[in-house]
Amino acid sequence: MSRFTLRDSILATLLAALVLSAMPWLMSDFALALTLTCLMYAGLAVSWAMFCGATNYLSLATAAFFGMGAYVTAWGAETLAYGLAVLLGGLAAAVFAALVGAAVLHLRGAYFAVITFGLGELVRHGITYYEKAYAGTVGRVISDPPETVTIYHTVLLLTALAVVTALAVRASRLGLALRGIGSDEERARTLGVDTRRAKVLAFSLSAFFPGALGAAMAMRWTYIDPLSVFNPFIGFQTVLIAMVGGAHTILGPIASSVLFSLLTEYLRLQFPYLFLVILGLLLILLVLYLPGGLASLLDRWRWGKSRA
Amino acid sequence: MAFWFELVATGLITGGIYALVALGLNLQYGLMRIMNISHGEFLMLGAYLTWLGHTVLQVNPILFLPVVALALFALGVVVYWLCFRRIIRTAPAVEVIEARSLLVGFGLLFLVQNAAYLAWGADLRGYSFLTEAVDVGGARFQVNRLVVFAFAVGASLLLLAVLRWTLIGKAVRAMMQSPTGAQLVGIDTRFLHPVVFGLGLAMAGVAGALLSMVYEISPGMGEPYTVTALIVIVLGGLGSALGSLLGGFLLGLVETFGMHYTSPSLKMLLSYAVLIGVLLARPKGLFAR
Repeated sequence: MSRFTLRDSILATLLAALVLSAMPWLMSDFALALTLTCLMYAGLAVSWAMFCGATNYLSLATAAFFGMGAYVTAWGAETLAYGLAVLLGGLAAAVFAALVGAAVLHLRGAYFAVITFGLGELVRHGITYYEKAYAGTVGRVISDPPETVTIYHTVLLLTALAVVTALAVRASRLGLALRGIGSDEERARTLGVDTRRAKVLAFSLSAFFPGALGAAMAMRWTYIDPLSVFNPFIGFQTVLIAMVGGAHTILGPIASSVLFSLLTEYLRLQFPYLFLVILGLLLILLVLYLPGGLASLLDRWRWGKSRA
Repeated sequence: MAFWFELVATGLITGGIYALVALGLNLQYGLMRIMNISHGEFLMLGAYLTWLGHTVLQVNPILFLPVVALALFALGVVVYWLCFRRIIRTAPAVEVIEARSLLVGFGLLFLVQNAAYLAWGADLRGYSFLTEAVDVGGARFQVNRLVVFAFAVGASLLLLAVLRWTLIGKAVRAMMQSPTGAQLVGIDTRFLHPVVFGLGLAMAGVAGALLSMVYEISPGMGEPYTVTALIVIVLGGLGSALGSLLGGFLLGLVETFGMHYTSPSLKMLLSYAVLIGVLLARPKGLFAR
């Protein structure tokens, strides 16, 4: 990707999005649903990698952001316009991330992973309790959801936006600061980077997309409950996809989200347990023998070509 | 008074299991920076082994404990050799070890848990063992719970004693303090890492075996314990064995009292609230110096 300029990459993203936006009229319903899943995970993984890939932080908060967005939709479905709900879902997650980030971003490594996971669970249990005690319900049905095509276009737009934002961040001063934090935070601070501000800003920015995607996907699922939208698996899967793809790149997570979604869709229904056994094995082998992710394959190939 | 006693005792019994699970995980993390997210799956294997031993071979679960511990120790050494050795050798930085071992942990979690589903199905399994009740100080307990508590605390204290008073324990503590320094004075990583990893899994296996005496078991039973253990070791401080023991009891008490005074559906909410409160107030754990 480094051979392309920022403008080329953004143009390529927009072009790809334009092609994909025609898919509802070209594809079967099943293929479209599959593409929607791919896009959702691509958006989640790219926005995760935007912050975590550069800074070497391990956030497990994606499920929390996603679920918050979904609940904004669920609570506001009757009063808010669809587009507004998606925007608010993203903003709610971004504000939450900024508050949380300001409080816990001084922690690193395992501590940060555990606390972000804990926060997600805290929000999930809190909402479960609130719904049971005050709303007298477990889940919520979203009446009168928009058309599938509309949701597809929303998710496509959000994912494209996530990719463009990731590209822009990477090329900006903020991106440099984040990478500086990733390689040595002390040094970055010594060199005059306001690391706290950079981290909170980027963490909050990277939370907007999962929140907005959650708000959009809630419309698609039509029935949501805390367990399904705050499912820790959404967070884990996002981290897996991003890291398997290569978290320091943008193309890697996109490629691996397509791979994961296809694998999941085709194998999970037929062999539910065996599929996960194989997935586990694959994951272990990949981490051991291809630790840089799928993106490192591309690098290796390119490096080989440039030497030839 | 008897009521208070019963509540405290229930909290301590739960906490004893938490401590045992957390100790193993904390040792692995403290020594090798392996965040073994599949820890609970090995607890589940220990539970199933005991269940098989009891129903197929008709062995008393208590007598079976050493077998479970040895089997999981051996499994731990093998898993270390196959999965984690390479990560620790090739990773350029500590954070990379953490991230990659977390991913491998997820892989193991998928692998082991679903292999168990394939082998034993999703049904709840169980057997009854020492279910009669006894009076202790005015409160009534099932005998099996007391046995579980005694063995959980016993195994935890045994481990603390090993860490404190034996040469290998000294080596482990040295390596936690300074990996490079420990290697300079001749402590062998190639020996210590697999042994400690195996020890961690053995502790998880024993915890699972104990749990199977009291609760019904299923292939998914391990995950909540992994999460709880993560909370406990953060409470007690990463790498601190004594901290895990105290943190386990603390969490058991908080959960029991919280559930009694609020509602059972708030149990997890309370655990996480405690975790986040502690992390914000004392990021290095409650018992950090």
